[in-house]
Amino acid sequence: MTSQRMIEFVHVRREYRRADGAHVTAVDDVSLIVPEGEFVCLIGPSGCGKSTLLQLLAGLDAPTSGSIVLKAKEIEGPGPERGMVFQRDSVFPWMRVIDNVEYGLKCRGVRAPERRRIARDYLARVGLTHVEGAWPRELSGGMLKRVAIAAVFANGGEVLLLDEPFGALDYVTRRQLHDVLLALWDTPGATRRTVLFVTHDVDEALTLADRIVVMHSGRIADDIPIAAMRPRNDDTLATPEIIAIKHKLLAHLGLQTKGAHA
Amino acid sequence: MTLRGLGFDPLRPLGALLFLGLWQAASASMAPIMLPSPWSVVKRASADFWSAPSLAYYGVEDPSLFGNLVYTSENVAIAVLVGASLGALVGLAASRVWLVRALVNPIMLTAGTAPIIIAAPFLLIWFGVGRASAVSLVAFYVATILYLFAERAARNLDPIYEHSALTLGAGPRRLIRDILIPATVPELLGGFRIALAGAWGLEAVSELLGAQSGIGKVLEVLAGATDAQGILASLILLGVVALAADACAAALIARFAAWSAAGAQRL
Ligand SMILES: Nc1ncnc2c1ncn2[C@@H]1O[C@H](COP(=O)(O)OP(=O)(O)O)[C@@H](O)[C@H]1O
Ligand SMILES: [Mg+2]
Repeated sequence: MTSQRMIEFVHVRREYRRADGAHVTAVDDVSLIVPEGEFVCLIGPSGCGKSTLLQLLAGLDAPTSGSIVLKAKEIEGPGPERGMVFQRDSVFPWMRVIDNVEYGLKCRGVRAPERRRIARDYLARVGLTHVEGAWPRELSGGMLKRVAIAAVFANGGEVLLLDEPFGALDYVTRRQLHDVLLALWDTPGATRRTVLFVTHDVDEALTLADRIVVMHSGRIADDIPIAAMRPRNDDTLATPEIIAIKHKLLAHLGLQTKGAHA
Repeated sequence: MTLRGLGFDPLRPLGALLFLGLWQAASASMAPIMLPSPWSVVKRASADFWSAPSLAYYGVEDPSLFGNLVYTSENVAIAVLVGASLGALVGLAASRVWLVRALVNPIMLTAGTAPIIIAAPFLLIWFGVGRASAVSLVAFYVATILYLFAERAARNLDPIYEHSALTLGAGPRRLIRDILIPATVPELLGGFRIALAGAWGLEAVSELLGAQSGIGKVLEVLAGATDAQGILASLILLGVVALAADACAAALIARFAAWSAAGAQRL
């Protein structure tokens, strides 16, 4: 596999000034290279700067210093080549489901019949064909996440940023959405998109990631490749190597685990 | 779809009947010159609808209730359309552009709390007694309400929608057309309905203060002649027109806010 570099963070720093005048360093000198097609999970305790890092890459925020480079071009603002799925619901309530999925294509001037065809294809792939004409308020939380995922995949961005997208969902829905997401990411015959997926759930990271980057206090604390075969299931994730990684991750999150000798 | 589902509330005609009954009972114990009976008022309204000799006698420009209703309705329509579009656009702009907010907010917040009718004498001085002063008074009133609704709705809009649109490839024009305006439409229409309801009364009052036509002018003349029957006939016709306009506004809300909870209640 030729691993061309897709994303490069170069000494990225983001400081915020709080209302009381104090400076908070949300992202502190982060340097990271992500090759094309890699599925990276960002994990770390709450407040360690994961969302900030993703917002910077999305171009919704700018670094205080350092730079973020996408395919040898420095990022200067948001763009459709970097799709984003937010933790909270971001599906537009005033557009029907199919119009939401088409919206990015519409912004980019794709003609109506063509974009409808693409949107229908992705709605089918996330299992929502039956609600294409529904209003978002008529859908459950899990269905709304499927719409958001269909919308960013339909838009064709090479980079997908997901900020704790399934954090608010129940266990069963979350596992179903892992399958939906991986099926879209790993479509036979299509190039894999580069994914940055923020989570605080160790099992979720182990199920999804090629590589887990651990953050702590705005810095990268660890960077662990996950070699487990795909598709993964509870059995393939029960190998001694994966369990050792799991203990290591839990320790990074400040959770002492019994019987961990890693 | 049931009648109730169409926004039909069975309590409404019941309330109207109760009101009519009370009116009938009260008029029976009072002199007709003080409070005429409902039936006599209806007869008067239909008799004076196309041609009203009493109005001709007092020198009203168009001596028919119909003609004056049209005059008042035209003024309200112009004022509401101009005022609502201006108020909504400036309100949306103020929510996103600091300079617009700094310039307009103090005026609008003052106008929102002061009784707007105090502007009427100045408008009369500047624009005279024609349409212009009444229309500009009502337009200003409507613009104030729409401004406050639009600015608040846009300020309260969750930034996640604009962020999401930006990452999907939307530019500034699409942000306004596809996000800011549709997202605030339910609140804008809600404000529109409130402003429309108030516009009728304000238009009539500003006509009372000096106009040659309109229901307000008719009321002024009839009050001078202590013609209670004629006053009630004019007011009831104005009420009917205002109710019809309100029903149109409600239909607009049902059509354009179907996606929101507020719109869904009317579907
Ligand atoms: N807009 C902001 N203004 C001030 N501080 C912020 C802002 N956004 C984030 N922070 C601070 O930056 C730190 C990292 O936040 P965030 O990236 O949201 O963390 P995470 O997503 O890992 O939970 C936190 O301490 C947070 O309080
Ligand atoms: Mg976060």
